[in-house]
Amino acid sequence: MTGNGADVANVVRDTIYRATLLLDDQQWEQWLDLCDDSFHYAIKSFSPEINRDMTYFQGSHKDLATMVKLLPKHNTDHSPLRRHATVYAVGVAEDGKTASAITSFVVYQNLLDGVNSHIDAGESRLFLVGRYLDTLRLEHDRARFIKREVRLDNRRLDKGSHWPI
Amino acid sequence: MPAKNHKQWLANPQLELGEWVDSRVYSDPRIFEDELNNIFKRVWIPVCHESELLNPYDFRTISIAREPIIVCRGPDNEVRAFLNVCPHRGMIIERRPSGSFLEGQPSGNPKRMTCMFHAWQYDLKGNCVYISREKEGYQDRLCKENVGLRRLRCEVKFGGFVWVSLDDNPVPLEEWCGKPFECLRKSLEAEPLEVFHYHKAIIPTNYKLWHDTNSEFYHDFMHYHNRVTGFNDAYFARKNEALEHGHVVVGTFEVNYDKYEGFESRAALSFPHLPPNQWYMIDLFPGMNFNLRGSALRCDVVTPLAADKVMIEFRGLGLKRDTAEERQTRVDHHNSIWGPFGRNLHEDLLGVTGQGATMLPGSEPRRILHGRHENQTIHDENGMRHYYNEWGKWMNRLPSDPEQPYLAPLPAAAAE
Repeated sequence: MTGNGADVANVVRDTIYRATLLLDDQQWEQWLDLCDDSFHYAIKSFSPEINRDMTYFQGSHKDLATMVKLLPKHNTDHSPLRRHATVYAVGVAEDGKTASAITSFVVYQNLLDGVNSHIDAGESRLFLVGRYLDTLRLEHDRARFIKREVRLDNRRLDKGSHWPI
Repeated sequence: MPAKNHKQWLANPQLELGEWVDSRVYSDPRIFEDELNNIFKRVWIPVCHESELLNPYDFRTISIAREPIIVCRGPDNEVRAFLNVCPHRGMIIERRPSGSFLEGQPSGNPKRMTCMFHAWQYDLKGNCVYISREKEGYQDRLCKENVGLRRLRCEVKFGGFVWVSLDDNPVPLEEWCGKPFECLRKSLEAEPLEVFHYHKAIIPTNYKLWHDTNSEFYHDFMHYHNRVTGFNDAYFARKNEALEHGHVVVGTFEVNYDKYEGFESRAALSFPHLPPNQWYMIDLFPGMNFNLRGSALRCDVVTPLAADKVMIEFRGLGLKRDTAEERQTRVDHHNSIWGPFGRNLHEDLLGVTGQGATMLPGSEPRRILHGRHENQTIHDENGMRHYYNEWGKWMNRLPSDPEQPYLAPLPAAAAE
């Protein structure tokens, strides 16, 4: 990748924001297209209750591709998730080959199913709060995710979700 | 029969007494209050696991039937439970979910449970050891020896779970649930276990609907994972065994995890003494579940919050001696279907949420069927029938007409 540090940081930010929009739109395959074949994804949280760091979900690029392929086989809450993300910090490795980024996010659930859709549908509820801790490979004029850790504050997750966050 | 008119809709089904319940058992706030007093304040609840209280002075706070409780490990390594209530003016003593009393607090000393409000302090046996300006305020009328905490019955048992009862004279714990644990006792007690997963769900539904879901497997039609990994002759031969006190044990069979694309056999990490890929489940009255699927143990504990609201705490456990690699594999196995982003748990919670939507306080009473008979095998609903017969005894209410006193069901409808 060419360009100065500010250009590189902008490419990283742009990639994270494009990934956020694709996740919002449930464009899972296009989202995975932004990820390197070596991509590793994890949803983690620290539990003060058990005083332990926990992994709620993890998988490789292949695992995620299989999972999203099977989503139509499963019953699920159809309420769309909308992410509000802000990239707070981007750091570029000295060799210029990788970058790391910290993005704070909240995820709203725009109820479609809810409990009783006649009453709940259309309402947005705060679903998750956390950070994306990303590592991206820099190549030519683009950045590709090689690692994403979704760091949740929540341990109360109610119905949960079948979808990548 | 075509769709029904109102009278037909409200009529009793053509089943025996005990083969259906009135939906008011799930929705009536008066019944809910009775359940807290008649059941939850009298039974044993597995409130946490000993690995959450690893060191002396560690504590956890929980609640049973609205009563706040603190569980702590003393310097003598004993785990004890107390009401988390200061006897002075009713302040909750410890506000954090967990921690250590080794650290001093702004109002109190290390190694003490301190009420921050007026700095009264208690040792880890529940004795009051300090009243601020005791003599000046109480002279000789009241002294710290008279104001200890309320101690609760507490035992560590069945794989290191911490069991607490608000009743000073409950059925002895071994007698209460020793029999259901027989199927897993060797596996759970061969060596120390450790909690690796915790999350909670607060769901707008009645707590018994969650326990029903854990008790009946007919709903496996909802789970693509369970259909492809399980539906075979051995699955349909699994037995539901009804045991004393309303408990149920679901017998085992070999699950074909690798039939679900992307998932793998769990044989390499089976719990001690458990044949590969076996799956046992224990449903304890009134709402606890222990679920061992080969390599990972899950425990659900319900805390009923209202007739139409329940908190469910989910724990995942492995072996304390696990290597990092083994632990990660167990975590992955656990999460694949049971995690908050796994395949099955989300579906189960959608199911009971949907039931809750139709059984709100004040909703028209309707009949909820528990009448499947399949020789006490996996899609037989004898587990639920057994549960509601026990519930009727504790509540002195007839599950099919809860305004009437308990009446034993006919033999054909009772749990066999």
